[in-house]
Amino acid sequence: MRKKYLKRKAWGTLLALTLSAGLLSGCGSSGTESTGDASASGEKVFYYGDTTFNTENDETDVDPHNGYSGWACIRYGIGETLFRYSDSMELEPWLASGYENVDENTWRITLKDGIQFTSGRSLDAQAVKECLDHLVEVHARAKGDLKIKEITAEGMTLTITTSEPVPALMNYLADPYGCIIDMEAGITEDGNVSGTGPYTATEVNTDQGLTLVKNENYWDGTPKLDTIYVRTITDGDTLTMALQSGELDAAYGLPYASLPLFSEAPYTISSVETSRSFFAQMNYQTEALQDEKVREAIAMGIDKEGFTRVLLDGNGTAAAGPFPSSFTFGDDTVTAPAYDPDQARELLKEAGWTDTDGDGYVDKNGEDLTIRWLTYPSRQELPLLAESVQSTLGDIGIKVEVNSTANHLDVLQRGDWDIYASAFVCAPTGDPEYFFTTHCLDSSTHNRGGYHSDRLEELEAQMSTAFDVEKRASLATEMTQTILDDNAFIFASHLRMSIVSGEGVTGLEAHPCDYYEITADLDKN
Amino acid sequence: MREKKRTKRKQKVSRDWTKLKLVVCGALVLAILLTAVLAPYITPYDPYEQDLGKALLVPCREYLLGTDRYGRDMLSRVIMGARTSVFSAVFLVLIITVTGSMAGTVCGYHGGKLDTFLMRVSDVFLAFPGMVFAIAAASVLKGGLFGAVAALALISWPKYARIVRSQVMSIKNAPYIEAARLAGSGTGKIILKHMIPNIAGPVITTAVLDIGTMMMEIAGLSFLGLGAMPPAAEWGSMMSSGRSMLQTSPWVILAPGCAIFLTVMVFNLLGDTVRDLLDPRQRKKEELPL
Repeated sequence: MRKKYLKRKAWGTLLALTLSAGLLSGCGSSGTESTGDASASGEKVFYYGDTTFNTENDETDVDPHNGYSGWACIRYGIGETLFRYSDSMELEPWLASGYENVDENTWRITLKDGIQFTSGRSLDAQAVKECLDHLVEVHARAKGDLKIKEITAEGMTLTITTSEPVPALMNYLADPYGCIIDMEAGITEDGNVSGTGPYTATEVNTDQGLTLVKNENYWDGTPKLDTIYVRTITDGDTLTMALQSGELDAAYGLPYASLPLFSEAPYTISSVETSRSFFAQMNYQTEALQDEKVREAIAMGIDKEGFTRVLLDGNGTAAAGPFPSSFTFGDDTVTAPAYDPDQARELLKEAGWTDTDGDGYVDKNGEDLTIRWLTYPSRQELPLLAESVQSTLGDIGIKVEVNSTANHLDVLQRGDWDIYASAFVCAPTGDPEYFFTTHCLDSSTHNRGGYHSDRLEELEAQMSTAFDVEKRASLATEMTQTILDDNAFIFASHLRMSIVSGEGVTGLEAHPCDYYEITADLDKN
Repeated sequence: MREKKRTKRKQKVSRDWTKLKLVVCGALVLAILLTAVLAPYITPYDPYEQDLGKALLVPCREYLLGTDRYGRDMLSRVIMGARTSVFSAVFLVLIITVTGSMAGTVCGYHGGKLDTFLMRVSDVFLAFPGMVFAIAAASVLKGGLFGAVAALALISWPKYARIVRSQVMSIKNAPYIEAARLAGSGTGKIILKHMIPNIAGPVITTAVLDIGTMMMEIAGLSFLGLGAMPPAAEWGSMMSSGRSMLQTSPWVILAPGCAIFLTVMVFNLLGDTVRDLLDPRQRKKEELPL
């Protein structure tokens, strides 16, 4: 009897051990085996992992005329703009061969010859006109930036007349929404378009990814890959493991904590400083935040240095304003409140917030000073910023309730937030005006907190007519200083962007504007 | 005769072994509960104080389990997490045991339309896959530890209602209940004095076994971001926030992971032992001559 019992126990133990071993080995990587190698038919297939092609980032398809989908259009090599940026963010011709500023309101753009859309149509001024006409008709942000009154097309020459002077017009046309697409071929129901880029999308699945195939008639070189599968993997850890297991050939948007895993061969990391900044905007509907002392105290209660050095693992620089110091109107030219908890406490006291009930949080009229901090998790480090802020603001007596949700756009609309922290490329066009027109003015689509400054509106009026680059830079500095003095925005860090390539991958370089990724140079051997 | 003696000895050994197990498991559970109660007094450091200068230190003499990416002491956070995790699990099991048993008693004793209605409701809850339903309920309740506990309570009570109902139905016509009724006892007295003590065994066993399960499920919901919110020290959410560092700084996720593993195991062992002691069939088997 006893023997039988022991025997059964031994079997049980063995079974348990086998099961646990199986479970553990299931987590391991499948070695260096890669699915991205040339397939049996000799086709070159490439797998690219990305965190941002999803609804959460307002990139639902590849139609540049829809929200921020232009970023996907240009990033995956589907569309191209009239002008592009060099590595030092200087404007250079792309689909256009040059431009001429006829007068304040008139611009004449000449197009390059011999370019075809993937639909087969040749690129000419008429095609560009149709595309831009549609853009300003359906895209509020583009309409506000470009202020186009009329476009006339004549052969390969396009003449744009604006309703008022738009000195940065050529920069704006290089924004991803300016991707030129064939409007005759139209926009399909799933948001697919015909561009002029090295690849064309055959399948677009929002939140999941897309399939790209080579554009055989590409005008600027021969694309080297036959098919590219772009996979949206919003969870950074899953993305990390997919790259490690060889499921992906390259990835963008990996958590900084994972980068050390790819520091050695066969991986290569391409990094570059960008104007993508983590920043927080204040909700002026919140009564407590209407007090400028409270806003200043919050600005002083955030440890930007510590966050950048430790939580971003040095993958960025602590910020003062929206633009990194590499810009002539960057951080070196402005001042923001430095981390100073003592001074912050003092300011709160002056504003009438003191801890009367001894719970560690300051209060007024029996209510604690509570801040609802809204952010979203697809930028892996935003929740880290939130938790760091929760602690440092907690030290000065402000209670922070963090809401980190993929649903943040709905919450924004509902108004259930006090401070909204996001990541945004503040100068994607190399020109400073963009950030202010999108975020800080009465007319800005992203001025979610209802911030208003007479001074800023006045400066913007000057900026919108200033053609001189130096004048624009000095205005930008003044405008940045204005929003910083008002503490309407708190800029935490400028990020470094990194793309990790796996074995044999060449031609994938991070660009300071953040949105040139897949090009005709991309190859895998 | 000899055979009988041997059997008796075996029974005695088995009973002693069960009792020993009960003492050991009981002591371990007590230790865990004490840790949870005394957590704020025994943590070596403040579990919430960030010190970015000491981020991600490997386990060392000063920080026995290392520090997390905010420079918080992992040992202190694991100890503090015991409070959140164990208390919420015990509290949850208490709620579902009481409400489930009450519903089951009412249904079993009175029967009728109320019984049909409540049992159909419980059927609805039992028809859903538990965790999926809990995730849905927790998201509707807007997250938070309270939301997670409420969501799990919502889906877990029918089990107790079922157990208690069947027990009550099987004894409600037993001679001793009839006798009590004839002696003039009211419904309340019959239920409290005669029924509950007789059906408590299986309920207590299920409850103790459920503590471990519930702890896992609360941790699971927190891991998904539907339970405890940062910076709360809760094992599930600690694992979730550390999971990107599994390969670079494994201690950040191993410490709370092991804590969950050990605690759940201890509670489950206790549950097993209690069942061995209380299960009438087990007891009867031992008493029957072979």
